[in-house]
Amino acid sequence: MKMKRKSTIFHPLFIFIISQLAWLSLLGLWIYWFVSNYIIFNQVGNRLAPQMVPKATNIFALVLGVCLLLFLLLGMYLIFSFLNRQRQITQLYDNFIANITHELKSPLASIQLYLETLNTREVPLQRRQEFLNLMLQDANRLQNLINNILQISGLQKKINVYHFSIYNADALISQIIKETEQKFKLSAGKVRITGAANKSIVADVNALKMVFDNLVDNALKYSMNEHPITVHLAAHVQNVVVEIIDRGIGIELNDQKKIFQKFQRVYYSYSPNVKGTGLGLYLAKEIVKYHGGKISVYSRGKNTGTTFRVEFPVYHAKKKGYIQYLLKLTQKNKEAESEEFEDE
Amino acid sequence: MSDGLNGSKILIVEDEESLAIGLEYNLTEEGYIIKRAADGRQAMEMFSCEKFDLIILDIMLPFYNGFEVADFIRDKDPQIPILMLTARGRATDRVHGLEAGADDYLTKPFHLEELLLRVRGMLKRKAWYKDITAKRSTATFGGNSIDFHALVAQTPTRSFKLTLQEAMVLRYLVENKGRVVSRKELLENVWKINTEIETRTVDNFIVRLRKYFEPNPSKPVYIKSVRSAGYIFDDEIE
Repeated sequence: MKMKRKSTIFHPLFIFIISQLAWLSLLGLWIYWFVSNYIIFNQVGNRLAPQMVPKATNIFALVLGVCLLLFLLLGMYLIFSFLNRQRQITQLYDNFIANITHELKSPLASIQLYLETLNTREVPLQRRQEFLNLMLQDANRLQNLINNILQISGLQKKINVYHFSIYNADALISQIIKETEQKFKLSAGKVRITGAANKSIVADVNALKMVFDNLVDNALKYSMNEHPITVHLAAHVQNVVVEIIDRGIGIELNDQKKIFQKFQRVYYSYSPNVKGTGLGLYLAKEIVKYHGGKISVYSRGKNTGTTFRVEFPVYHAKKKGYIQYLLKLTQKNKEAESEEFEDE
Repeated sequence: MSDGLNGSKILIVEDEESLAIGLEYNLTEEGYIIKRAADGRQAMEMFSCEKFDLIILDIMLPFYNGFEVADFIRDKDPQIPILMLTARGRATDRVHGLEAGADDYLTKPFHLEELLLRVRGMLKRKAWYKDITAKRSTATFGGNSIDFHALVAQTPTRSFKLTLQEAMVLRYLVENKGRVVSRKELLENVWKINTEIETRTVDNFIVRLRKYFEPNPSKPVYIKSVRSAGYIFDDEIE
């Protein structure tokens, strides 16, 4: 209880308000003191030596004073908001570390349990196979997590090397979704692809795999029901649109912007899943952005399902300069790589 | 197993399916009967309509977390041993778990052998406790009286239920009145564990007992610490 009271008193917002009030009252007192002295000085001065009393107030000093005052206020406000943001990030980061520890330890615990089981017991062949599959699944989960972390770290330092090429959107997205289904060992019909997008887009296959792995994984984690997940493709003049639609627990309106921020996770008491790192959607957003596209989410709230909408620019129809730059960059990377290879 | 623990019913509350399957396999091989719950809600439902001898409980669970489930279970049955099994290994989590009524705490990843030993130790303790309470079942010191059989404690200010583990630690100290009992001795004789696990678990229980029975828990008069030796129980206040 003591701790709680202490932290309320030392909350930055509280300190900020108190310090503002303190220095504004000080200013008020000074003005009061100055004005009352000025009146006395005027009265006494008028009587004793009228030629010494100035006729007009000094407007310049007044304006300069007010400006300096405003400047001080603004500066303090900026410092305050910067510190507050920093505090929030630290808190999110602490949560992230706790979450990631959990996400790393859980599959590891499972793998260790199976290895020790196989090492100490005579496990029948059929169960042995089942355990090996479970271990592979856990190893996969660890690999995904590590890939996500490395990808984000690379994005921040701008050192990720992408290999962009021109693809038919229909074929590419269908292929990626099929691979995702295989990776998560989903039963047939769990993910349904509808619509068509017979246009060209420029993409890096491995990066897009991460985007759709994360989106499908999310849709699975937050759906309690047996309804399939729909991947709907559509092609417009300038954009290819891919929608991942689930009938899960939905996302409340206030949280819809938050979910794409780094380390940010939304907790609902009715959520069937409590696991995650707060990296997946941030990563998806950054990769799609790098492709010249954008990602958004739609949900009408609790238990209404969620739709993630991903847009990619159609090749030669939108963002021509940027897309050309991506292709050129890939060409340059390839040349650099082959030079390195020759050197070796 | 020849210690009569065969057929003990264990409820595994774990939302990581692969871990739950592995635990179920191993514990079934040891001769226990296993039921599985994948979230807090299901665990509470299963606990309400079935009788179990031990609960293995994860903390991060959907709907109701492990602490809430432990609270719910303790409310209904103070005697049932709870083993918390979790990836959260921070000291605060450990203390929180033990405060919520868990009797033991194991962090992931863990060794299979250690888990099996602890489960067996907890079940043995439960059986052993039943035996000894048949002989002597009450203790009084200061204004406190404890019924070890019903697990009810009466202090000058209130009456409340003790968990099995709390009662066992207190009982051991009372029975060894006037003698210094080391943490290792408590682990061996009360926890029935013969490994070098952290002795902090013991300290956490002592803190809880002091909170219940000491007039001033920060200056204990009944359960005193003996530096680098252990604890001593004394009900004759100078």
